Amino acid sequence: MATVTPEGGTAVPALSLQEITRRFGALTAVDAVTLDIAEGEFFTIVGPSGSGKSTLVRLLAGLEVPTAGTLLLRGEDITRQPANQRPTAMVFQSLALFDHRSVGQNIEFAMKMKGVAPQARRERVLELLSLLRLPEDYYDRAVTQCSGGERQRVAMARALASDPEILFFDEPLSALDYRLRKTLEVELKELHQRTGKTFIYITHSLEEAMVMSDRIAIMQEGRFVQVGTPQDIYQRPRNRFVAGFMGEVNILAIRGRGESAKFAGLGLPAPEVAGAYAVLRPEALQAGDGGRVRFDADVVQRLMLGSRTQYHLRVGDLGLIAEIGAGVGNLMEPGQRARFSFDPDDIAWVAE
Amino acid sequence: MICDRHVRYLKAVWIGTIILLLYIPIVSVVLVSLANTRYMRFPHRVWSVDAYREAVDSFTTWSIHLVSLKMALCVVVMAVVLGTLGAMAFARYDWRGRSVFQRLIVLPIFFPQPVLGLALLLSFSAMGITPGWKTAVIAHAVWIVPIVTLVISIRLFGYDVAQEEAAFDLGASRWQVAREVTLPALWPGIFSGALFAFLLSWSNLPLSIFTSGADTPLPVWLFSRTATNYSPLVPAVAVIGTVISALLVVVLLVLRRIFRRA
Amino acid sequence: MSVRPGPWLAAPTALFLLAFFAMPLLIVSWYSLMPPRTFSMLGTPTLANYGAAFSDGYEKPLLWSMLGATLTTLICAVLAWPTAKILHAHAGRAASIITALIALPIFISESVRLFGLSMFLMPRGGILAGSLNAWFDIQIGSILNTRLAALLGMIYVYFPFMLFPLLLGVSLIPEDRLEAARDLGAGRWALFREIELPLAAPGLMIGALLTFVLCLGANAEAAILGGRAVTVISAAIEQRFSYAQDWPMGAALTVLVILVTAAVVWPVLRRVDLNRIIQR
Repeated sequence: MATVTPEGGTAVPALSLQEITRRFGALTAVDAVTLDIAEGEFFTIVGPSGSGKSTLVRLLAGLEVPTAGTLLLRGEDITRQPANQRPTAMVFQSLALFDHRSVGQNIEFAMKMKGVAPQARRERVLELLSLLRLPEDYYDRAVTQCSGGERQRVAMARALASDPEILFFDEPLSALDYRLRKTLEVELKELHQRTGKTFIYITHSLEEAMVMSDRIAIMQEGRFVQVGTPQDIYQRPRNRFVAGFMGEVNILAIRGRGESAKFAGLGLPAPEVAGAYAVLRPEALQAGDGGRVRFDADVVQRLMLGSRTQYHLRVGDLGLIAEIGAGVGNLMEPGQRARFSFDPDDIAWVAE
Repeated sequence: MICDRHVRYLKAVWIGTIILLLYIPIVSVVLVSLANTRYMRFPHRVWSVDAYREAVDSFTTWSIHLVSLKMALCVVVMAVVLGTLGAMAFARYDWRGRSVFQRLIVLPIFFPQPVLGLALLLSFSAMGITPGWKTAVIAHAVWIVPIVTLVISIRLFGYDVAQEEAAFDLGASRWQVAREVTLPALWPGIFSGALFAFLLSWSNLPLSIFTSGADTPLPVWLFSRTATNYSPLVPAVAVIGTVISALLVVVLLVLRRIFRRA
Repeated sequence: MSVRPGPWLAAPTALFLLAFFAMPLLIVSWYSLMPPRTFSMLGTPTLANYGAAFSDGYEKPLLWSMLGATLTTLICAVLAWPTAKILHAHAGRAASIITALIALPIFISESVRLFGLSMFLMPRGGILAGSLNAWFDIQIGSILNTRLAALLGMIYVYFPFMLFPLLLGVSLIPEDRLEAARDLGAGRWALFREIELPLAAPGLMIGALLTFVLCLGANAEAAILGGRAVTVISAAIEQRFSYAQDWPMGAALTVLVILVTAAVVWPVLRRVDLNRIIQR
């Protein structure tokens, strides 16, 4: 099993999944997943609901037992090891804070289970409060009195306090509003850099994953469809499913090969072994003659998106979406016919 | 024109009347107890607390209180144990027979108590068991355990099961999870359930009447002496019994408050 | 959490109830089929007791109990509805205190409360009669030892059992539905009929069910307040067991009451989903 680390080295992976499978009766939630996660990596699994990502993380954390497959932690087999013996900690989707306890009591929980003395526990809790940017006097504060963002931080501190080798995050930000999410995404990235631990994160939002991760895996129906760096996934999606995670994107069915690939009546220079679909991101389309492939289109709809303007275009019987930076060129009106262009290098070719 | 103020006034009058009507009989008992004559005549010629003095001196008073206390404490223990286990099965875990179990639990509440008492009396007698305070405890439990189960179950609705998983993930053994997470979440329900169980057993009449046999808890004594052989002790004992149960509850609530601070 | 703990946790309580609730009902049912005036469970089954129940006039106490239960339920519902609405509308500190005050009497023994009520209603020397006589020189007759007194007693004792489920039911009526209906032009009566009643129905049904079933077997009210004027079915059953020494007959009457109870409880409990109510 080749170890794919970002640097390309051959160190012992922090976590090695070998054909991990989980079946519930006739349903296969996780289907023979194989992967190595490097030490200190921020690895995110992205997938829609029902893709099996939650089940996978629970298997890794020890909250469920795989039907088949092996799990190695730094080379050691932990497949059947229950969660309370694994040196891992999880931040749950609902945070699962102990509502009847204070912030300090929540954070020190793992240490209490290990039998650490009260004084040592207190010191470590204060350390973590400062690391997570929570005020020192929050030690005795009831968790029910904390705001959403504060509760997030308490959950993270609690997981860190158990000094785990690996931290799991089960969609912790999905319930928060946009602003808070953006703030916490950055903080999580910083936390990762400061602690140097291996983070395994799951989410349904590719955008969120791209902000924080070293590598991303796209999961569909229990399998990894593509694994790579954020850039890989974004610029070279493996198929339409992955491309679809990027939000609105133009997916064009292509007829023909090579120079004869047709697009809206234009010849499109496509590689000989090109896929059946061309994926073109809205921001790759420009107004005017700047790109090498040029065409005229009717503007059907215009949506103001703040920093960008989105145009819905019609070329023949083809619909396209273009996003142009606000302040670039003139605003176009629905009903107008205008020239657009793009560079063929911006196209990602997918087979299916 | 009926304006808003009139409506408010009418509402207050309605509520006030309801409360008044509810408490008239209770106040009546107190009023009746404040005389020491064999025949009832209100307003009393002579107001006195002699009836209380006699009641306190009488051995019967305390022996019937003791019977009620014995029974109530046993019922509390049974209700808390069976109720906690039952609540976990009722509301915490999903399992195949759960809806059947839920219906079974609720049935004894929607059941005429005297009929239940009589059915138990017949069954015990048929099996050769003489009715006594222990059979009355069982009768009380049949009705009270379901109520306490529901009271504790309410704590489990809206309970985040993930808390238990989080504790487990952080290194707790299964026993520690129960002690550190589940029981503290249930505890307020268990405490209320225990109080309910005590009060409902202490005051119960229809079940006790038929199943207590030769032993006489407080309500049964009151009932039998209301119909026949009335004495001025009766209202005094009634008040004493009620006050004692109220005091016990108040003491427990105060103790709980003190422990919360600690 | 791999092993399924549900059934194990349910077992103690389930076994207890099966042994001391289901079993006695079965024993009673069996006894009702035994020959009259016998004590053994080994006789030849017969329906004689059921026949005698109707031919010997036992249907009277049964019907009186059913009538009394129905009247009590209706009157309690009428009294409880405005009370519940008022308490819900003005929820707050005052409402909590008032609700606690209304709940308190449940925990005071029936025997104490009924004793008090009988003392209040007693003619001549009773609280009401005596006060009216002493202060206003009014003489009133007695309503004790009448059916009316027994009914009043039942309404008094079981009112909270109607009120509390109804409070829960009323609290489930979302305010915005009422506002939307008013906005669309609904008058007071239409509001009640189309919105409030259907939405509060679960609470109302549970309260009514509870009140009816508990009143069906009510014993003490008739004994203390009704005296000889009324015989309720529970008293009749008890007489069969003790005075008349006719266990099978008493058992048959018990079974009849159980059947009436089941006929009322079963359809309602099947339709009302407990989980949904408690979870809101």
